[in-house]
Amino acid sequence: MRLWRQGEGDRSAREAQILGWLFVVPAVAVVGALILYPLVTGFKQSIRSGGFLFGEKPGYVGLRNYRDVIHDPTSQSAMRHTVEYVLVAVSLEILLGIAVAVTLHRVFRGRGFVLAVLILPWALPSVVSGVLWRRVFDPDNGMLNSVLLQLHVISQPHVWLASGRGAIIYITLVHVWGVLPLISLIFLAGLQSIPEEVYSASAVDGAGPWRQFRYVTLPLLRPSVAIALTVGTLLAISIFDEIYVLNGTALNTRSILIQVYNTTFVTADFAHGTALAFLLAAVTAAFGAIYALALRRATV
Amino acid sequence: MAIGALACGAALLVAACGGGSSSGGASSGGSIRGQTITVMVPYDMPQKLLNQFTAQTGVKVNYVKLGWDATHTKLVTANAAHEYIADVAEFDWSFTGQFAGAGWVEPLDTALPKPLLNNLKNTDAAFTANGHTWAACYSNDFRVSMYNKKMFAKAGISSFPATFDELATDVQKLKAAGVQYPLAIPMGATEGGVTPWYLLTLAMGGQLFDDNLKPVFQSPSSSGYKALQWEVDALKNGWVSPGAVSLDDTPTFDKFTAGQNAIVLATGPGNMPTANDPKTSSIAGDAALGLVPGTSGPGASFGLPEGLSIPVTAKHKEAAAAFIEWWEQPKNAIAIYHTQGSLPCGSDALKQLAASGQLQGGDVVNAELPHVAPLFPAGAPIWYEQFSSDAQGLLNAAVKGQMSVGDALNQLAAKAAAHNQ
Repeated sequence: MRLWRQGEGDRSAREAQILGWLFVVPAVAVVGALILYPLVTGFKQSIRSGGFLFGEKPGYVGLRNYRDVIHDPTSQSAMRHTVEYVLVAVSLEILLGIAVAVTLHRVFRGRGFVLAVLILPWALPSVVSGVLWRRVFDPDNGMLNSVLLQLHVISQPHVWLASGRGAIIYITLVHVWGVLPLISLIFLAGLQSIPEEVYSASAVDGAGPWRQFRYVTLPLLRPSVAIALTVGTLLAISIFDEIYVLNGTALNTRSILIQVYNTTFVTADFAHGTALAFLLAAVTAAFGAIYALALRRATV
Repeated sequence: MAIGALACGAALLVAACGGGSSSGGASSGGSIRGQTITVMVPYDMPQKLLNQFTAQTGVKVNYVKLGWDATHTKLVTANAAHEYIADVAEFDWSFTGQFAGAGWVEPLDTALPKPLLNNLKNTDAAFTANGHTWAACYSNDFRVSMYNKKMFAKAGISSFPATFDELATDVQKLKAAGVQYPLAIPMGATEGGVTPWYLLTLAMGGQLFDDNLKPVFQSPSSSGYKALQWEVDALKNGWVSPGAVSLDDTPTFDKFTAGQNAIVLATGPGNMPTANDPKTSSIAGDAALGLVPGTSGPGASFGLPEGLSIPVTAKHKEAAAAFIEWWEQPKNAIAIYHTQGSLPCGSDALKQLAASGQLQGGDVVNAELPHVAPLFPAGAPIWYEQFSSDAQGLLNAAVKGQMSVGDALNQLAAKAAAHNQ
């Protein structure tokens, strides 16, 4: 009887294993076809001669394409700009996201309505929000210049996207406007998972609102911070639409992804474009891994 | 973000898909009746005209209209991956070197009848490379100026300026008459933003490259240098709106048709119907063409013709050739001109248009044509797209004041020289 039961258990475990594989195999096949195959062949492309259009002999060139794009001044400035986008965007998103979440965590009249309105910018495609903001920044007929001129803050129309750092900050603000709702919701979910008893206990110990925020809320929000950092960084690294719609491929605001687009699809230099795309993918993956580790530490 | 992610992903995917061999050669003989071809062109086409083609040939047309910029990107992506995209595809003059060099399109020398090709001879140079013609011109686009007659009359100006000195005087008069920014010049980091620099360089009597494609625009005495300095000064002097540094040619033209500017320095003659159409323009009836100004009289201009090509990956190449042949017939080319504004390239169609008085601004168009030359007499070089991309960023940085005219042009010349090696 006991043996029979054990045999049945083995069979059942085997069946469960087979069933598990049956569920996994289609997903693995799709991922393999759509991600692994392009990755491998893409990598092969990135180490081949990029100049077949320009008379170069096709063939493997090792890491030369990677060296070329790393030493290219335009790519370097695009990398610098991308770092600036990431730093400004992620800092603002974390600070403002926590502030918005803490505000919305309180129960007040119309909270549901405010939440619905808050999500709107996230729901808009980034190209659409770029077009909307272009109307705000337009030097001739834009809303921003119009308001500032009427308030006598400026005496003549300002070209908002012409300067270097200023333009990057304005474009980042547009990006933050779109991403902030998501980050705020991540923090709001984190706040809602903190048990009320912890606050009650700290209040008994004499902690005021600020000490509660500093020593209760923030430490318990660490998993949410890790998720928000991951999402915010990955979205900021891949910033494209807002820049392209607001300022085209101008050098003063060009991000690394716009450089990838330009190199690959405008000049048809697929080898260098792919090399740059792989570098970007590696950096993105590194950030993802670091944040995943941080998240694990925060939750374990 | 979505486009960005797609750009990055697509860069990897295209690399993954490329590498196969192209089909090459026309499809085997047999009737084309019953076939369906895809035509990809960035301008509208009335279904009525397409139905006429179907009635004549039995070939159905799936007409896909794309934005001009998107057209190049999609063609490059599909061609590099050796994937089918269309049977008849847009072919801008600037594609010639790149597409012919990569072998992405069929030569049309044998695909189209000789008389048809002879009829397109005036624009043939723009689509010729390696001894073959790669596209049949359908849009005889070249740069010409356009102005607002009403604003000119209000400022007391009786005719369009013929020289840059006269232009400077007239701009001051227009400003005095209340036109805040008389000139409309796109200066954004786009292809449309560098075209005015090309035009000004030619109009000031110079060239961008010598016969060996060596850049000749970096010296302060060169026309290219003077042309860019002129653009920078036009901004500083308030002749052009400061916002022009972020604008492409289409929004710039929209501002002109909205009555915000008095002169578009560089536009296509095909834009006349749009500028004078009350449905699309608030200055309808007031738009007129003017010859591009020069140093001592009307200056040189250059052509930006667009053609129809047959990608090597096309599925129905004979039907595609039949479609091109149908489009180029004078009767159809004229009908298309009236609907999409593409000035015909065929000399027969042009003669018929001029003789019947249907050519808007016909006298100026006829007067401008002798001044029109290709930007690259031997056809656009294989590295033109790289040069254009470099120029877009560097010229834009110069007009924004982020670098000097000299620095921008020296860097551009160095890059062009490197591409040419």
